This record gives sequence, structure tokens and C-alpha cells, in this order.
Amino acid sequence: MVPEYLISALVYASLFAMMAMGLTLTYMTTKVPNFAYGDFVTLGIYSAYTATKVYGSNPYVGSVIGFGVGAVASAIMYLGVLRPLARRGSSLVSLMIATFGVDIGFVGLIGIYTDYLQYQVRLIDAPQFYALPDFSLGGYAGVVFVAPISVIAVVMAIYLLLTKTRFGVAMRAAVENPPLARVLGINVDFVYTISWMLAGGFAAYAGGLLTLQLPAGTATGSNLIVEIFSSSVLGGLTSIFGAAVGGLVIGASEILITLDLGLGFGYAGAIIIAAIFGLGGALLVRRGTKWGARLVGAIFAILGVWIIVDMVAGFPVDFLSPELVNGFGPNVSPFQQAIPLLIMVITLMVIPRGIFSINVRRLLGREKK
Amino acid sequence: MALPELIFFGIDWVSFSIDFLEFYALYLAISLSLNLEFGYTGVPNFGKVLFIAGGAALGGILSGQLAARILGIGANEDYIAFSARIINSVNTQIVNDPLLAAGLLAFSLVIAALIGGALGFLASYPAIRLREDYLGMLLLGMAQFFDVVLRVLTQSQPISVPDPFYYWSTQGSGVETLVDMVVMVVFAIAVYFFIEKVVRSPLGRTLRAVRDNEDASAALGKDNAKIRRNVLIVASALAAMAGALYSFYAGSFEYDTWTRFAWTFWPFLIVIIGGAGNDSGVAVGTFFFTLIYKGLQQEQPALQPYIFFNANWLQDLLLAALLLAILFLRPEGIVRERSSYTLRKGTLGTIVRESGVEEGGAGAKGPGFFGRLMSRFRRKSESQPAKETG
Repeated sequence: MVPEYLISALVYASLFAMMAMGLTLTYMTTKVPNFAYGDFVTLGIYSAYTATKVYGSNPYVGSVIGFGVGAVASAIMYLGVLRPLARRGSSLVSLMIATFGVDIGFVGLIGIYTDYLQYQVRLIDAPQFYALPDFSLGGYAGVVFVAPISVIAVVMAIYLLLTKTRFGVAMRAAVENPPLARVLGINVDFVYTISWMLAGGFAAYAGGLLTLQLPAGTATGSNLIVEIFSSSVLGGLTSIFGAAVGGLVIGASEILITLDLGLGFGYAGAIIIAAIFGLGGALLVRRGTKWGARLVGAIFAILGVWIIVDMVAGFPVDFLSPELVNGFGPNVSPFQQAIPLLIMVITLMVIPRGIFSINVRRLLGREKK
Repeated sequence: MALPELIFFGIDWVSFSIDFLEFYALYLAISLSLNLEFGYTGVPNFGKVLFIAGGAALGGILSGQLAARILGIGANEDYIAFSARIINSVNTQIVNDPLLAAGLLAFSLVIAALIGGALGFLASYPAIRLREDYLGMLLLGMAQFFDVVLRVLTQSQPISVPDPFYYWSTQGSGVETLVDMVVMVVFAIAVYFFIEKVVRSPLGRTLRAVRDNEDASAALGKDNAKIRRNVLIVASALAAMAGALYSFYAGSFEYDTWTRFAWTFWPFLIVIIGGAGNDSGVAVGTFFFTLIYKGLQQEQPALQPYIFFNANWLQDLLLAALLLAILFLRPEGIVRERSSYTLRKGTLGTIVRESGVEEGGAGAKGPGFFGRLMSRFRRKSESQPAKETG
């Protein structure tokens, strides 16, 4: 039996990978971060809920229907709001505000729909419900297989689409250089619309699958926006496959690090963390160009040394190190969003172009600056 | 002494106008600070709620704890769990001690400003050098996370806040809300004139330069990231002070109140309605928004029996539609942004007379009369070296 936490990390990672790929697709085409993206996830959640509770089908059918619902909503948003605004010459910030407004509108619509379910259809758990029933295969929940397989299928499909088909090549051209693509006779608007539809579809499909694993509700999609943005930023915002990797990293680390912080890393884990703190801090002190960076580096280095010293001395002072070894307890779980946020912060400060921009050869010292 | 009542059409207009003005002044102060960031400098602060709620929560809680410590109340009790009881006995002591009340008010405002500024610096630090979209995403994420922090910190229950104006609550019903309202209005007016002063100065033109053309302002020796950072710090401090004042009005800090709808979306909507980069526009926009919002609030109970869903959703939908409609139909808002302020005609005349240049004596070569005049003025009034106009 594979431990429970690894399974939930796998599912989480797969779902975030799918959501981040969608967000990156919209960002690549229109260059606007879509603040309404979380609502597409919520649309998928309620597609799954409706299919299961109202029509007595199952959440998988609901997720596939959700793909359609999300795609249509996304297309309406793009064709009805963003494209006309961009054609009027709105600035980037105006477009961001517009997506924020669309977000509020979607929240209103979803609220009306859940009230309809609650008061007219008499489903009292509509605003906030427990995980939906899943089939089981070999002792595992079905979503454990479906979510990773869906991600692999989507990544392969996108890879084949972008490299082997005329439409995919047109898509890449339209993203890289829209005016030139237009000159070559590519229907850029059509390509962008399809990208937006795929993006909304991915989000809603992932949201539908999410209901099999976690309790969900009207606010779930909006709350996930931190993880989705972090995944996309880690992926570099302009690479679909980077977004997939970013989603996997964020999803897995959020589950596993939170769990470890709660239960403790043990002595070996604490030593590794101390080493990361110490070495990272020392590097910052040596390489930092600003006194602020050096100060932060010094604090990290001192913390790293402190953890080791305190551990060797047998915890005479109750600060940080005994908790690292034995765990902070269940109090950390509400703060689990700190981990994606922290990854986003580190990404923005160290590798703002994303995970694929790391030059491995230079990092290993094979290539000089 | 109770406030008089003035009832027409089933509405008590005295309490309605106090309520209206309180809301107006609160949102005017917040929207003006957003306008300083977004309207003048182009910093998209999509995490506005973070700074306002931070000021309200920490300013309120810390000043409450300080007062309890000074008065020796509830030293052995969990402040968060028993805040209502502790604050109640703090308030009864405040009545007899105007000095303590004034001190508490000043302390919580200063604490709120410091915390707001610190949060503004920290929350934006990683992305302040990057493009607006990265900064917007980061601030939105930070606000979302801070929401969780506040929920855990307050244990999802209302935290009572000491009330420096408690004396007036013993003077008759409704008097205290009147005092709260007056303080808020004074604060909003102060913010208005402060920001107006900033944007009319050379610094104001620098902010617009950072917004409109980063490359140009960098070429003229301005550190864009530093300017954006400082603007975020100042605006966040102002917003946090507004939040602290609001928590006195509300009487407690309730986690549920601090949604990104009410404290991020509405200020953006107000600035868009009124016109970005324009303080008088924001004042007008806040007025229209307050009218719309209070009108919707007034009509909700009448509408509710006819619809099966909560009327609040309809309000969200209408406000979102309003935002999009303005972005489509009149993106510059009600009041257009004016170009940078220049000298008045009278002042120009004085300079001309003092400088001894003959009026209308524009030479055939070199900069014209007006150009020479302006370069003179620039050299006189600005601390930075003047750039050549010729």
C-alpha cells in the first residue's frame, strides 16, 4: 500500500499542473493574468456536483461536462470582455481590473446557482459539500488514477498539437509574433479563442476531479488562485510544460512540507534544513549586492547554525529546532498556502523567468559567466 | 441629549446621512490612497484588503492590549478569547480619562500606519522590480494568504476594539456615531489635501512619469522600483489608518467583514467610476458609489421576497456589470485626468516682471519666450538639476 499522503500529493500535483497549464495558455495569448481563473475551477466543481447530486450520474461525467462549461465561460469572457477592451487600447492594468470585475460577476452567478440548488432543488449542502463518491480500484480511489493519467494525456496531446499539426504551428506563431502570423494568413483571433476555451476547460475539468478528493464549495476556486498563480510563475508564465512542472512541484510540496512541518522532519530532516539555511544564508552574505540581502542571509545562516547547535546540545532552549524535529502539530495546516506563496516569492526573486530558465551547466560550474 | 429624528418617506434622514457620510469618508480615504498607487503611479494593488485589514486588526488589537496592560485589566486572561469583557471594562475607564482616550487614538493610528507601511514594503518586495502583472498577482496572493492568517489569529470570532470615543456614547443615543463620522470625515479631508499636495509637487510629475513611461523616467535618473515601493508604503499606511478608524466605528474586528470584494474591488470600482489619476474625480466617484450602494442596501429587503436567491449576489453582479460598462463606455471615468498643473496666469506675470524680460519678446533663435520662462522657473523651484528645454 502506498501511504495516504503520497497519494493525496500525487492527486494535488496533477490537478494543479492542469490548472496551471490553462492559466499559462491564457497568459501566453493575451499577456494578462486572469484573476477570474479560479471561478472556472468553481464552475467545474459545480458541474461535478450537479451531475452527481441532481442527475444521479457521477463526478467524472460532471467533470467532462464541466470542461465544456468552463470552455464556454472562458470563451465568453475572452470574446465578450477582454478582446473588445484590448482592441480599444486598454492598458495592461485596465485589463487586469476587467478580469477582476469578471471574477466578482462569476462569484455572483455561482452564488445565485448554489442558492437555486439550496432553496429550489433542496440540496442543503450546495454551498459547501464533502468529497463526492468515487469508484475504487485495487483499494485506491479512482481519482488517484484518473488525475495523473489526465495530466499525462493532456501534456502529450498539447505536445503533439504544438509540434505535429498545422494548427499547433499556427498557434505557436500566433503567440510568438501576432502581426507576422496575421501576414502569413493565420487567423490569430481564432487561435486565441481556442486557447482560452482550452484554458477554461482544463480549469473546470481539474475542479471537477477535485471534488472527489476534498470538500469543496463556492469559495474553493478563488482560494486556489494562490497555488495556481504560484505554479504558473514557477513555470515561467510563458511555457505550458513549465506550468505543468510548476504545478507538480507546488502540489507535491504543499502537501508533503505541510505534513512534515506538522509531524516533524526527524533529526536527519532537521540537519538538511539547517544545512539549507546555513549554506543559503552564507551564499547570500557573500554574493548579496545590497545590505538588506546580506542581513537576511546572515539571519538565515545564524538560524541554520542555531538549529544544529541546539540539536546537538539536546534542546536546552525551546526555539524552532525541537519543533522542526518533532513537528509543530496540527496548528500548521491552516497555513499551508504559505508554501506555494513562499515558492512564488523565491521564484520572483531568484528566477523570475521560471524554472526552465535555470542554466544547469552554469549552476554546476561547467560554464563560465 | 439624543440626536433629533427627521423622518420622511419612512427613512430617518439624520441617522441616514450620518451613516452615508461615514461610509463616504471611509471609502474616500481608501480610494484616494488606491488612486495614489494605481491612478498616479500605475501600481496595481490587488491586495488592498490586506493593508486595510492589517491596520484594523493590529491597530485595534494592540491598542486594546496596551490599554488593558496600563489599566491592569485581565492580565491573566487570554486576550483574544475574552476581548469583549476586557474591552468593556477598558471602555468604562476611558470615560473618565480623556488623556488615555486621546493617547489610545494616537497610538492605534501610529501603530496602524507603521504596520500598513511595513506590510506594503514586505508584500510587494519580491516583485517590485518586475512588471505590473507579476506585482498584481503577488499582492493578490499575499492578500489571500493574509486572510487565512487573520482567521487563525482571531480564531474566527469578533475581537472587541477599545473605543476612544466612548465618552460620547454616554451622552445620548447616536451621539457617538456622529463623533465617529466627524473624525472619519476629518481624516478623509486630510488625506485628500495630503495627496493633492503630493501630486501637485514635482514628485507628482515624477509619479506620472513612472506610470506613463518607465524608460524615460529611468533615463532621467529616477529609480522606478524605489518610487513604486515608497508609494506603496505611504498609500498602505494611509489605508491602514482608515482601517483602524473604521474598527473604532464598528466596535470590533470581525474576520468575516474583510473580503476582497468590499475592500479591494469596491475601491477599484470607485477609482474607475470617478476617473483614475484625479482626486476630485475620486471624490465624485465615491459619492456615486455610495449612492448606488446605499440605494441597493435600501431596496434589498423589498426585493428579497420576489427572488429565490440572496440579493447580495445580485449586488455583486450589478457592480461587476457597472465596472465593465464604465471600462467599455467611458474608460477615463466621470472626471478626466488633467495634465500636470502649471503656473497660474498671475504668477507667470509676477515672474515676468521680476525677471525684467520684455513681454512678447520672443527671439528668432533658441527657445521661445515661454520656453525660457519655464526653464527659469524650473531652475528656481525644483531641487533636481533642470533639463535643458532648448
